[in-house]
This record gives sequence, C-alpha cells and structure tokens, in this order.
Amino acid sequence: MIRIGLRDARAHFSRFVMSIIAIALGVSFVVGSFCFREMMNDQVDQMMGSNTDHDVYVRGTDEKKDDDTDSSSSSMKTYNDIDDTLVDDIKDVKGVKTAEIVYSVSGSLVLVKQDGNAVSTMGSPTMGIGLAKGTWRSAHLTEGRWATNRNEVALHSYAAETSGLKVGDTTKLVYPSGPEDVTVVGVFDTDVSQAGAIILGLAPDVAKDLYQQQTGEIGRTQYIGVYGSGNKGQPLTNDQQRALADRINKALPAGSKATAITGDQLRDEYSQSIKDMLGFIQPLILIFAVIALFVGSFIIANTFSMIVRESMRGYALLRSVGASPMQVFSTVIIQALLLGLVGSAAGIGLGWGMVRLIVFGMARMGTPLSGAGNPSPTDMLVGLLVGVTVTFIGAALPARRAAMAPPIQAMNETVNPEKPVRPRAVTGTIMVVLGVAAWLFCWRIATVDGEPTSVGFLNALADRYGTGWPLGIGAGLIVIGVIVLAPALVRPAGVVLGFLPSLVFRVTGRLAVRNLSRQKRRTANTAAALFVGVAIVSCLSVVAASAKASVAGIVDTGLKSDFAVSSAASGRIPDAAVDAVKQVDGVKSVSTSRMLMNVKYDGKRISGTSFAEQPSLFTDVFAPVTMSGDANKALRDGELVVGETIAKDRGWQVGDTVTMTGERVSVDEEATAKAQADWQAQTQAKVTALQQEAQKLAASGDAAGAQAKAAEAQQAVTDAQNVDPSTLIRTKSETTRATVKVGAIISNSIYRTMVLMNDETAEKLADQQTMFTIQLFIAAKKGTDTEALRKRLVKAVKPYYVLSVLDREDYKSTMSSMVDQILIILYALLALSIVIAIFGIVNTLALSVSERTKEIGLLRAIGTSRAQVRGMLAIEAAIISVFGTLLGLVTGVGAGVVIRAVYGGNGLEVLSIPWDQLGVFLVLSIVVGLLASVQPAGRALRKPVLDAVASE
Amino acid sequence: MGRHTAQAVQARRGHDGKADNTGNAARPAGSARPVRQTRKSQTTRDGEAVARAVDLVKTYGAKDTAVVALDHVNVEFMRGQMTAIMGPSGSGKSTLMHCMAGLDAPTSGKVFVEGLEVSAMGQRQLTKLRREQIGFIFQSFNLVPTLSAEENILLPLQIAGKPIDRAWFDHVVHVVGLEKRLTHRPSQLSGGQQQRVACARALMARPSVIFADEPTGNLDSRSSREVLSFLKTSVHDYGQTIVMVTHDPRAASYADRVLVLADGRIVNDMSHPSYEQILDVFASEGTDDTDGGTAEGEERA
Repeated sequence: MIRIGLRDARAHFSRFVMSIIAIALGVSFVVGSFCFREMMNDQVDQMMGSNTDHDVYVRGTDEKKDDDTDSSSSSMKTYNDIDDTLVDDIKDVKGVKTAEIVYSVSGSLVLVKQDGNAVSTMGSPTMGIGLAKGTWRSAHLTEGRWATNRNEVALHSYAAETSGLKVGDTTKLVYPSGPEDVTVVGVFDTDVSQAGAIILGLAPDVAKDLYQQQTGEIGRTQYIGVYGSGNKGQPLTNDQQRALADRINKALPAGSKATAITGDQLRDEYSQSIKDMLGFIQPLILIFAVIALFVGSFIIANTFSMIVRESMRGYALLRSVGASPMQVFSTVIIQALLLGLVGSAAGIGLGWGMVRLIVFGMARMGTPLSGAGNPSPTDMLVGLLVGVTVTFIGAALPARRAAMAPPIQAMNETVNPEKPVRPRAVTGTIMVVLGVAAWLFCWRIATVDGEPTSVGFLNALADRYGTGWPLGIGAGLIVIGVIVLAPALVRPAGVVLGFLPSLVFRVTGRLAVRNLSRQKRRTANTAAALFVGVAIVSCLSVVAASAKASVAGIVDTGLKSDFAVSSAASGRIPDAAVDAVKQVDGVKSVSTSRMLMNVKYDGKRISGTSFAEQPSLFTDVFAPVTMSGDANKALRDGELVVGETIAKDRGWQVGDTVTMTGERVSVDEEATAKAQADWQAQTQAKVTALQQEAQKLAASGDAAGAQAKAAEAQQAVTDAQNVDPSTLIRTKSETTRATVKVGAIISNSIYRTMVLMNDETAEKLADQQTMFTIQLFIAAKKGTDTEALRKRLVKAVKPYYVLSVLDREDYKSTMSSMVDQILIILYALLALSIVIAIFGIVNTLALSVSERTKEIGLLRAIGTSRAQVRGMLAIEAAIISVFGTLLGLVTGVGAGVVIRAVYGGNGLEVLSIPWDQLGVFLVLSIVVGLLASVQPAGRALRKPVLDAVASE
Repeated sequence: MGRHTAQAVQARRGHDGKADNTGNAARPAGSARPVRQTRKSQTTRDGEAVARAVDLVKTYGAKDTAVVALDHVNVEFMRGQMTAIMGPSGSGKSTLMHCMAGLDAPTSGKVFVEGLEVSAMGQRQLTKLRREQIGFIFQSFNLVPTLSAEENILLPLQIAGKPIDRAWFDHVVHVVGLEKRLTHRPSQLSGGQQQRVACARALMARPSVIFADEPTGNLDSRSSREVLSFLKTSVHDYGQTIVMVTHDPRAASYADRVLVLADGRIVNDMSHPSYEQILDVFASEGTDDTDGGTAEGEERA
C-alpha cells in the first residue's frame, strides 16, 4: 500500500507543486519568525555582553514608579539615582580594579562626515560615550589614543568607516550647544557589531557634562560600573561577580540607597527588556504564517480532492481486490505526509533564507547585525510539525472519501449537494454582532465622559480593562465571525457582484455567478485568505491616513507661522542658532518653544511635557482651541495653559492653584573648594609617600629603585598639573518653586499633553541647564517672498548641520513620510497575502474545473468559444477575489474607524478614509482574480472536448 | 416520408475501392408535410448530402499497438433523414460520429459538413461550426446543472449571440411537452425529461445536422420511446437531419436508414429496416461480440 502511495505521489508530483509552495511559505514564516527573534535576541545578548560588560554594577535600591517617569515605553525598570561620590567608596573595596561612571548620551550628537554632511543612520542612534583607558573593556583602540577634551574624539570603527574620517582628520561635531571643531585622535573597535550605531569616544568629563545637561540630574547617576581585578583582566565569572558584589554591598555606606548587582544580572535584565520591546514583531509575522497555512491546508484539501476524484476507479479496484479502507486511506495519506515533509523542509530553508536576506538588507541600509539567525533544531522541528500537521489535516477528508469508495464504484459526475449554510450564517452573524457590540463598547469607553454604559457590570469591566481588550476581542470576533458567515454571503454577493458581469456578458456572466454558489464553503474559504490580509492592511491604511490628515489638519487650521525650525539630533537648538535666525532679513517674529526638564506639579510629574512659550504663541503660531479660560491672557499673565488630557488626568480646573517645583543647577562654591582642597591633599600625600619610599630605597642602596620611585613622584605631580580643573568643580542642584494658577485649558491636539507657561514663570523654575529650545516658529514680514526667505533661513542654520527649516507643507510631510515608511512594510505584507490568495484562487478554480470537465466539454460542444470559457472562469475568479477584498475592506475600515475614535486623543483627531487607496485595492483584486483564472482556464481548455463529453 | 435512396458503400477488404456513391433520387422539397420549415429545407433539397466522410481513417495508439477504429470509411448523410449508426462495441461507430462532428480529428481522410471541411478546421472555425451547423445530444450529462430547463434550451443561441425566435421556442417546448418544467433545474427533472430538454436545445438552433450519441442509452423504454418519436417527428415534420449512434436495435428501427459498422468498416446499409430486419442482420453477422442490446456497458472510449 505504501508503495502504491509513493508511486502515486511521484505521478502526481506536478499537482503538488502549488501545495508545496503554500506549505513552504507558511512554514517559512513560522521558522523565519523564530529565526528572526533568535537573531535579534542573539544580537541583543552580544551587544549587552560587549556594551554592558562591567563585572558588577551599583544602582539604586528603590524601583521608580511608572507615573514618576517620562518614558513608559520601555519595560525596563528604573531605580532611584545614586550619588556620584559612591565611586570613592567602591574603589577601595578589595578586588575592584576600577569603579567608574560611564556617561553616555544618545541622540544629541551629530558627527559631520569627511564630505561635510552630517552622518545619518537608519534609525540607529549616534552615541557619545565617555571613554578612557580601561573604561570599556570590550573596546580596543586600534589606532591613536582616547579623547581628552572637548575638541577631540575617538571613533568606533563603524563610525570611522561611515564618516570616512581617519586619525588626525579635523571635522565638526555638533554638540547640543552647537557645532565645534574636533580632531579625530583615535579609532577603536568593539567585539561585536553595534547594529549601525555611530559610537563616539568622548573625553569622560565632556560626556559627563552632556549627560547632566541631557538629564538635568547633577551629581547623580543611575549606574556605577565596576571591573574586578580577580581574573587577570579577564571578565569575572558569575561566582566571582557575586563575591565582588557582596563585598561592595558591605562597603556601601548606609543610607546610600545603593546596591551592587552582578553584571550578568543587569545584562539579563537589559536583554529581557529589549527582547520584550522587540517581541511584537514575531506575532505580526505569525499572523501571516497563519494565513499562509490556512490557505495551504485548503489548497492541499483541494488538490487531494482532485486526485482522489480522478483515482476513484483505482481505489474501487483496490477495494474490490480486498484492500481495507484503512489501507486505501494510507495510500492517500502517505502522499500527503511526503508532501508535507518536502514543503516543510523547503519552508525551513526559505525561512532561514528570508532572515539572511533581512540581515543582508539591513546591513546594506547601514545596520549591520552580527547575531546568528540560524534555526535551532527546535525551530526546525516546530516548522516540520506544523507543515506536516497542516498537510495531514488538509488531506484527511479526501483520503477518507477515497477509503470509503465502495468496491463497485459508479462514479457520478454530479457533486454531492452541499450541506446547508444556514447554521454557519447564524453562528457567524452572532459572532459579528457580538464583535460589533464590543467595538461599540470600546468606542463608548473612549469617547464618553463618565460611565460608558448603563450596566454596572460592564462599567466595572471598562474600568478594569480599558479600551484595548474590547477592541481586540471585537476584532477577533468579527474576523472569525465573517469567516464563519462568509459561505452564507456567497449567493447574495454573487448576485450583487455578478450583476455587472452578467449584464455585459450575458451567458458567461450568469454561468459564472451560478457556479460560485455551487460550493459556497469552498468559495468563501478561498476568499477568506484575501479577506484577512486586506482587512489588516485597510485598517492600517485608515489609521495611517487619519494620522496624516490629523497632522495636516493641525497645520491647516492651527498653524499660523510660516516656518518652523527643528533639530534632527537631540531636538535641542543652540542659542546661537536662535540668534542667527532672528537676524535673518524678512523675519517678523521668532517664537521659541523651550522644554523644561524635571518639573513637578504638586510634587508629581505629569505624563507629558512642560514648555516655556512667548505670549505671541497663540497669536502668531497656533490658534488655541480653548475649552475654558482665556489662553492668550493666561500666558501673558503668567498663568498655566494646560492641555486637555493633562487637565483631565489631574482634575485641574481653571482657577486652581498649582505648586510647581523645578531644579536649577549652580556651582557649589563650598563643595568645590573642599573638593579642590581634598584633591590637593591627596596628591600631596601620594607624592610625599612616593618620595619617602624613594628615600628609603636610596638609603638601602637600591639606586635604580629610588630613581624609579622619584620619577613616579614627579609623574604624579605632572599629572596633577594636567588635570582639567572642571573635574573638580562640584555643582549643586537647587530646588525651585513657583505657585501659579491654571489660566486656561486647551484641546489643540499637539498641546493635549503639555503644560505651557510664559518665559518669566519658567525662568523661576529652571535655567539654561534644565531648559532647552526645541523648536522655533517663524513669522515672515508681510510682503516677504517666502521662497527667498526660506533660502535665507536655510543658509542661516546651515552651520549647525542638524537644523532643518520646515515650511507648512514640510511640516505636514515630515509626519507623512514617517507614516509612509511604516506603510511600505505593510504593503510588502499585503503583497505576500495577495500571492497566497492567488494560489488559493488558482487552486479552487483548478478543482472546480476538474469537477466540471464534462460540463465545460458540453458547453464547448454546443458552441461556446474558448474565449467564452476563459471569460466565465475569469469572472468566477474575479468575483471570489472581489468578494474577499470587499469583506476585508469593510471589516478593516470599520476597525480603523474604531481605532481612530479610541485613540482620537493621541494624534488621530481627524478621521480620514483613503478612498483612492481602497479603490486601488479593489481594482487590484479584480486584476488578481483575472490573473488567477488564466492557468485553470488553460487547463480546462487543454482537455479535448471529446474526452470531456465521451460517455463513460 | 416517402422513399429513401441513400446508400453507403463498404470498402471491401481490398479497400482500394474508393467508393463515394452519392445518394440520388431526390424528392422535391416540401413533400415532407413540414409544419414549419427551416429556411434551409426550403432552399435545399432532401436527399442531398449534409455531411460526408471521404476515405476516413482513425487509428489509436502507437505503431506497434495501433488499433484501427475507422478503416477507410466513405459515407454520406442525407438531408432530412434520420440515420442510425449501429455496431458492436469497438466497431468504430462512436469514433465515426465524433469525427463527423469535429470532436475528434481523423488520422487521414476528410470530413465535410455543409460543404465545409471539418477535418481541416481550427478551434475558432470549429466553434463557429458548432454554433451554426451542428447540434448535439449526448447519452448523459447533457445539461448545465446550474441552469434551468429553459436556460439550457436557449443556451446555444445565447452563447452565439443569436436572436431568439420565441414562437419557435414555444412550439418546440410544446412538442417535447416541457411547458410545465421550464423553470426546473436538471436535477429536478427525470432522465427522460432531461433528454427531451437536450433534444429541444439541439433543435432550437435548427442546425444542419444533429449528432446524437446514444440519446436513449440511459433511459427506460417508455422515456426512450418518447425521445425517439420526438426525434423522428422533427425529421419528418421539420426536415431536420439527425445522425444517431446506438446499439439498441429498437432505437435504430426509428431511423430512415441504418448503417452497421464492424471493425471500422461499414458492413451493412439498410433503408427503413424493421426491428426484425435489424435483429436479423446482427444474427447473420454471427455476432459473437455484440452486447445483446441491453442498455448498459457501452464501449469505453
């Protein structure tokens, strides 16, 4: 029996090609998604191992609460900051080689390339790290030396390669305060690729300054990194790390709120949090794997139905010579298993290849990855199991039909009448209705103040789970509901969609429409693949279009200024640049938006940002949409203008009084004096000790030793002279306080999560260290040629490299281009689901043609031309494809509308349905259908009319 | 109908006798009491050949294992006649019909229908031929299952984009007795009714010749009778030409002329034979391989 199965499989091989491709695609997504995740994880682990390579870390003990931090996007826990000075305590612990704070700043620096342009990366940051000898074990100087001051930099090899700079070259480095000339003094390498990040080695104190400016925290740090000496310069083992951490913990002064943890522990935490952040990618890929496998199992079922139908006589013969149903079943299933194995194996290879391709593509785009993306045996096993299982499921029913073949088989051409679709109609409708109800519920939660419904139980649910759950559950119910319901929709859809074809092609159109209703389930299942893909994509395009339209709406209705200037790097605009812009001829007024760091309101941070603005903001830049109070007057009078979301969050009303606290940093004269004195004493002591030793050695007759010690003492003196005095300056942060009234609440979308105050109020709270200009709005003088002004502005900011001048259209398109980039990925996925759907349609038609061989022969015999047969199948295919697409469009747009409403406060004020895009999808679906019909029609026509009609 | 004077010539075993005696003894048109006459039958005359085969050879398979299905057959089918082709399984009767109808390409020789050389036609011309000159009735699976009886009857005209002659439709439907069944799907009709729909469809376009392949092969005797008498009526009343393949002597006895094939050759050509005469022919041929006239076990193509 097995031999018969194998022989059949060989005979049917060409039939299996499509099934194999479908299975391979599905499996490749499964395996690819695992590979991709593993590669990313491996990359993250490698980078952690290299970049966070200290043996022990000291950090705060208390976890910060989420509502007290600005970034809630990362799942990484943050702890209280610890004092810089703990370094001194740690240094003295036995076994500590170095204890240092490695300051690094990300995103606020821009390196200018050899050719005078700024280095740009594909999403990877530019990082400045304070590096000196021994600060970073995994970094090795390959050339030159480390940077020692603000005008020197050491480049990571990738940064050097990208920028084309060599040791000794002079270029510009754009600091947050503006560009400065720097000399490349060294090039270093790290053990692993840095995924495209541009890493600059700065002098440690320069990095410290930058870090403190960026965070607004002075004299405090999150981590102190410790290298141990226990392993001769090699990284410590886990046990050694543990022992060292224990010793350090003992040495930490009480009340320091600090604790030492092993490097491995921190690396694990970091890795985990990054992996969690990247975790969303895999489910996304898996959705498409599910689509592919669904279609795959369906294609297999169809293929085997055809094979079984054609071999029915053979099975009947086998049965009549004594084969048991089980034996016949096995002849079919053995083919399926073989097919599944081949398909899965191909899929594993394909999935691996896809990951390699992604790695290659990312490397080409400037993000080299060194993570290993090879599938593990488990991945392969999972892929194989999935592939074979899906194949088995697909083939089981046809195989059963073969097994049940009565020994004397008088095969009838007529297909068994379908089971009624009514139960599915009922179930599907209920699911869709429930899903819509969930969406409505979600909508109510999002948009209605107070209780979303009149049912207490539901309100409790709403409180507990928010909008996410009902949205997701609703979507799930609707998608599955539509798939269940679809067979019942085939007939009405055929009538409606077939109306036009039937009108134009009377006979073939009518035949096509009726043919579709013969196998409603099959038709509906074929359309389902397209349905899911189109639903996802159309939902996202509605959201994307709404996001774009919302931005455009802000610009069109609110923005009054002619130009805006923003910085591509840190977002910080140097003061000199502000002055330069003000000098430009034709500029009427320049409004600066300055962001305040670390401002607390009534002791708590807001989940948003605080800005210092000029009173001209509301007259020259943005028209306020005021909910209560007078925004313009409030800003002039030094009162707060609060965004709607924050006001709601904090329960503020116009007239409420709020106490704000901020930080100002100043030089702590006293501490600085003390630090200098301490340091002098320390140096003195060291020199003295060395000199004494030298004398002692000299006394004992060791002239060479004495000389060496004396030289050492001399060196210590020289070193002391060379020390940058700024490292000895101690700063203190002073808490500032201001009590102001809430003057107005506004609902402009961009201001929703902001608190605005005027410059005077802000200056009471913050100073240059804690307040940065992040955007300029420029109004042109009346009658100025804006194009010429734009050119002058561009020229004015050119020396700062990172500043860009945006006119109103640019302002809109910065958002659009971001959205468009995301959409490109989605369209790639759409293309994929279309390919899979085409397979499905081709296969369904092929099966349908094989079932209707006689009918088509008959049609040909009574004068139907080849073109008419092709036309009939083309119409069938097009209707299937349009049917799936329409279901997808309706569902997807519905989901998009609900999502838009739910996240209306987060930049989706305006609902925009991209009709033209959706129209393109629809037209595309017709083309897809027509294409899909070509091959099956060819097959139908290849069959001679005689074979088809010859009575058998 | 008066006389029949057609004859076929068997190519004898020497088979260089390229006989192509044409039929003669034409009767004046109009003497067949047609209720309605087709335009064709007014302008042409019965007794003239509608379709003819010249030196037709059809072999199947490769050289060594070749099976000769038709062995230099010359035959003419006369207008306004019902001709039955009989013969035991494997005698080539179906092959002859398929070649005549352009469903199968002959290995050599020529086929003409209405003076057009079918054997040299491409797909496009064949489609045109089927639309204009030929009607088909098959043993089974005659109807498109998704269409109603009426739609099936009108299908050939609609496919060809020809105008529908409603009066003719009503008449045909009346004659086959399907007035009450027009909206039914094939699955709701009995076998006899289905074949009558097929007959009506074939007749609707008034083709030059209708080829019927075992039209009663799947029917009980009563339904067979109905279908056969309808076919006969259409020949006699409307001057329709029908070529019918059958192995049932009773069905053949409805024909004006009966050709008997054996081993790819025409071995007998009878004019208006009675049922008994037909049976006699088979008996005298020493038919060791006839299938006894039962309605099952038609040869497999």
